[in-house]
Amino acid sequence: MNENGFVLETFGLEKSFGDVHALRGVDLKVPAHSIFGFLGPNGAGKTTLMKLLLGLSRPTRGSGKIFEHDIVKESVAIRERIGYLPQQPRFVDDMTARENLRFAARFFFSGPADKMEARCAEMLELAGLADKADRPVKGFSGGEKQRLGIALAQINYPDLLILDEPASALDPLGRKEVLEVMARLRKHTTIFYSTHILDDVQRVSDTVAILNNGELVTCGPIEQILNAQDGVVYSLTTKGYSESVERQLWMQDWVTQVELIHNNGVSTWQISVNDEASAEALLLRQVSQDPQVTVTAFSRKKYELEEVFMNLVEGGSDDRK
Amino acid sequence: MTVNSELQRVNEWAPMRGFANMFYKENYAWWRTRRWWVNAIVWIAIICSLVAFMLFVLPGQAAANNDPSLAEMGGPLALAQNMGLTIFFQMGALAIGIGTIILCQGLIAHEKETGLIEWLLAKPVTRRAYILSKLASSLIAVLVLLIGGPALVTIGLFYLRMGLDFPLIPFLQGTGILIAHTAFYLCLTVMLGTFFSKRSPIMGIAVGTLVGGNVLAGFISQTLYFTPWGFGRVALSLASSEPVPAGMLWPPLISTIILSAVFILVGLVKFEKSEF
Repeated sequence: MNENGFVLETFGLEKSFGDVHALRGVDLKVPAHSIFGFLGPNGAGKTTLMKLLLGLSRPTRGSGKIFEHDIVKESVAIRERIGYLPQQPRFVDDMTARENLRFAARFFFSGPADKMEARCAEMLELAGLADKADRPVKGFSGGEKQRLGIALAQINYPDLLILDEPASALDPLGRKEVLEVMARLRKHTTIFYSTHILDDVQRVSDTVAILNNGELVTCGPIEQILNAQDGVVYSLTTKGYSESVERQLWMQDWVTQVELIHNNGVSTWQISVNDEASAEALLLRQVSQDPQVTVTAFSRKKYELEEVFMNLVEGGSDDRK
Repeated sequence: MTVNSELQRVNEWAPMRGFANMFYKENYAWWRTRRWWVNAIVWIAIICSLVAFMLFVLPGQAAANNDPSLAEMGGPLALAQNMGLTIFFQMGALAIGIGTIILCQGLIAHEKETGLIEWLLAKPVTRRAYILSKLASSLIAVLVLLIGGPALVTIGLFYLRMGLDFPLIPFLQGTGILIAHTAFYLCLTVMLGTFFSKRSPIMGIAVGTLVGGNVLAGFISQTLYFTPWGFGRVALSLASSEPVPAGMLWPPLISTIILSAVFILVGLVKFEKSEF
């Protein structure tokens, strides 16, 4: 971790394969002890970035640091302190789950055999695979393989876990299991993971970056990103004659947009404002004072990550056209 | 980083970080699966059954057929020795070379195909250690399973046939040449593994070099002075206590050792630059 509290930083990171620009000037900062969701559509460059961080490929331009070590020149020192789960977890097929863990542990540790075994048993327990420890990994289900992959990535008590699409190939139950394991690990380590499943990100992440066409379109705490979208919007549901209220709302300085949908005598309003304080003080009062209108519901609209993602990614795609 | 106080961080020489554990993994694949005994049986069966035929069956058949070569060779025992050594060294060099290529073609390519290489190289292991661990463990396995086992059984068969008249030291000298021949094709195969992600080009080029080289040497005999293509005949001459033609032993032997080292160096450089 550097003095600013970031474990991972990239500076104008670029990667090209011939004429194809997989990454374009990515500046990323991952705070320590965060669960950092790295979002993007398929082909956005997520896996390419992870491979650069792991020293599996080299940047065309730019640089990066993990724990203050250069990702190109000091890759082995970085890999001493990280755990990695590839998109498709791979194991040594001849070995059982326990033997794979033992093998992975020996890259990092030496010491009494019983202590090494205890470490492996701890990881098997964490992954919920204690009862399958001595079975060949070939027969494992997708969820079991994914959990074993996370256990292998965690074997060295890493300061940073890099997980490439840890839940994308799993059924809902398998995804839930993997997210639970991630949540259990958050107090011990920083987790940097890529995904295109927005629901998962909103469930477990505290910081998010969105990559599209190799470019970073946004990066920051998830609440900040959700709140930064198109100002503040309030939702209202009313009954009764609403034309005069609508006219009055349009006359307010702090109202920027009013959208109204009528359905079976019920009106649903989406009111965008540019002054949150005025809206909170005046909006409900303004509508309620009209005797022809009855307010049945009032709330501030909460943006879902999916809407934010679609806005940013589709906007980015449009710009590119 | 939290570390269990009873476990210590691995302390290895930085340029070879990860070698010991990779070497353990490679040895596991050779010796803790059925691979070792399958190969031990197969290679002993292939080579030693033919040697046994030459030692125990062929001379009797030649005598029964009044074969004139029997007299030319100096009797049934001399014929048995000559044919047995020819099979072990000349045919053996070709068979063991091909066997080495078949067994080692997937050392790196298989891990590229399955993606295991990404996971391994994401651990604290240098690329140098990755390649050299595969080379070292495979060299040991190939020498033990493809040369050592068949050589021991062949020596036993010769003692059974010839008693104490069997010339052991010359046989071991010939086996030394066979080892250099096998190591050359192993190094070539490992180097090719750093260039290709599929097994077919590795197999094609390595077997092409082995078989094509032997054919080429028949037309251009000068190649025998700097390649291992004549090693089968050289090994046979040594084992038969016959003189090796001038310049056919040390120059190609030294050149083969240098070429093997060059293959490894090229493989290391290529692998260091590879992206996964």
